[in-house]
Amino acid sequence: MSDEFEPTIIAFLCNWCSYAGADLAGTSRIHYPPNVKIIRVMCSGRVNPLFLMNALQQGADGVLISGCHPGDCHYLEGNYYSRRRFVLMHRLLEHIGVHPNRVHMSWVSASEGEKFKEVVSEVRDKVKEIGPMNQFGRRQINW
Amino acid sequence: MVDQGELRQKAKEVISREDVRRLIGWKRGTYGFEAAPAVIKDPSEADELVFDPTCVQNPASFVTLEEKPPLPRGVEPDLRKVGVFAKGCDSRALIQQMVEQAYERDHIVVIGIPCRGVIDHRKAEKLFGDVTPDLVEISGDKVVIEIGGEKREVAREDVLMAKCLRCRYPNPLISDVLVGGEVEKFADDDFSDVDEFEKKSPAEKWEFWEKEFSKCIRCYSCRNVCPMCYCPECVVTRLKPQWTRRSVDLSENTSYHIERSWHLAGRCIECMECERVCPMDIPIMTLNRKLTRDVKELFSYEPGTDVEASPLLTSYNPQDPEEYIM
Ligand code: SF4
Ligand code: SF4
Ligand code: FES
Repeated sequence: MSDEFEPTIIAFLCNWCSYAGADLAGTSRIHYPPNVKIIRVMCSGRVNPLFLMNALQQGADGVLISGCHPGDCHYLEGNYYSRRRFVLMHRLLEHIGVHPNRVHMSWVSASEGEKFKEVVSEVRDKVKEIGPMNQFGRRQINW
Repeated sequence: MVDQGELRQKAKEVISREDVRRLIGWKRGTYGFEAAPAVIKDPSEADELVFDPTCVQNPASFVTLEEKPPLPRGVEPDLRKVGVFAKGCDSRALIQQMVEQAYERDHIVVIGIPCRGVIDHRKAEKLFGDVTPDLVEISGDKVVIEIGGEKREVAREDVLMAKCLRCRYPNPLISDVLVGGEVEKFADDDFSDVDEFEKKSPAEKWEFWEKEFSKCIRCYSCRNVCPMCYCPECVVTRLKPQWTRRSVDLSENTSYHIERSWHLAGRCIECMECERVCPMDIPIMTLNRKLTRDVKELFSYEPGTDVEASPLLTSYNPQDPEEYIM
């Protein structure tokens, strides 16, 4: 095993588009970086910005939130709400000194297996360049 | 300078009304540069009410505080109105609470007071020490402070709250009764403080916040005083799910501050109460200001200015900016 830093990326994917897109990438045998740990949510509108804080506290080096393209949300408008939310959250995190390239958002549809791979590779490269997240990791308590 | 006689007279009229059960305002504090909040129930108490530049506290915070315990059978709830004093910034808090449907417009009677600035107790204590002034008033572009019979004049910048030096709404945006005449807008806001902070690199920003967040003792004063923080159960103290642990360390403090400021995105009306009450002198407004600026820039939205508006984050526009989205 090499000692090179490989980032851990937590991805919140919506069930109806991005998760299906990731599935398609898998069934089409498209290779994408294994750094990404996927958490399936029903809609990108379900992603609470506290999920993101928690991921960063608990050792994620980067976070990706992905949903259906605007207008395509299974619940019609979930991704519009989530877009407002994360544009602001991204700027807020930047303001306290979290590198802007740690948090990413994308629209990936169920037919875009290839795009999913590209997004994940790009996120991995960007996070890798910044290095490990060592700003406010949660203290581990093991009793 | 607001005439205290007129203020008390109008307060008396409001509290004497059949449909008003109490009135929230200010009375003389016991020490220092801050007036104390007052809740009166009877016209005879109206004579203790005051308004001057020491009336800093935002009375809007109290409107949503009232507990509603279950009533015994046969007892009708008291649904009469609440009277509340409001400076320009306080009126924005009331509006924002109504935008969020915390209560209806006819739940409150607003006694609006055009304001020319209030004292920042930190600045004043630095200048005058730990004293109690006999009189504080604003005349022209100077603040006159009388301590122990001796009058001193100081420049506005030296003693007024930062919010007043960039106040765009000195006159209450809603009011049922107005005390004194409207004042002219005397300042404007260009968000230069936010721009200045943003010049720092991510590492410098974190260096700054690491130091500030480490100081926080998590007393939650900043949350408790905030007129917009009125959820019956707050997410930061909730145990299931527990998003933020109770331990006071850098990680949880950072999480707390992000949560707090994030939950005020598009809601904070910049009354600066949070920063004023912080016992650890944490520059909390630096977070709020950033969000206020961005909300204005990205969505042309200004919380607490329009009773008919919908809350920022529960509405959307298909043309919203996408910025960093891939
Ligand atoms: S008032 Fe200050 S010390 Fe108390 S929780 Fe807020 S920031 Fe922390
Ligand atoms: S966050 Fe601070 S400035 Fe904003 S409304 Fe609450 S107390 Fe006022
Ligand atoms: S279901 Fe995919 S974003 Fe709402």
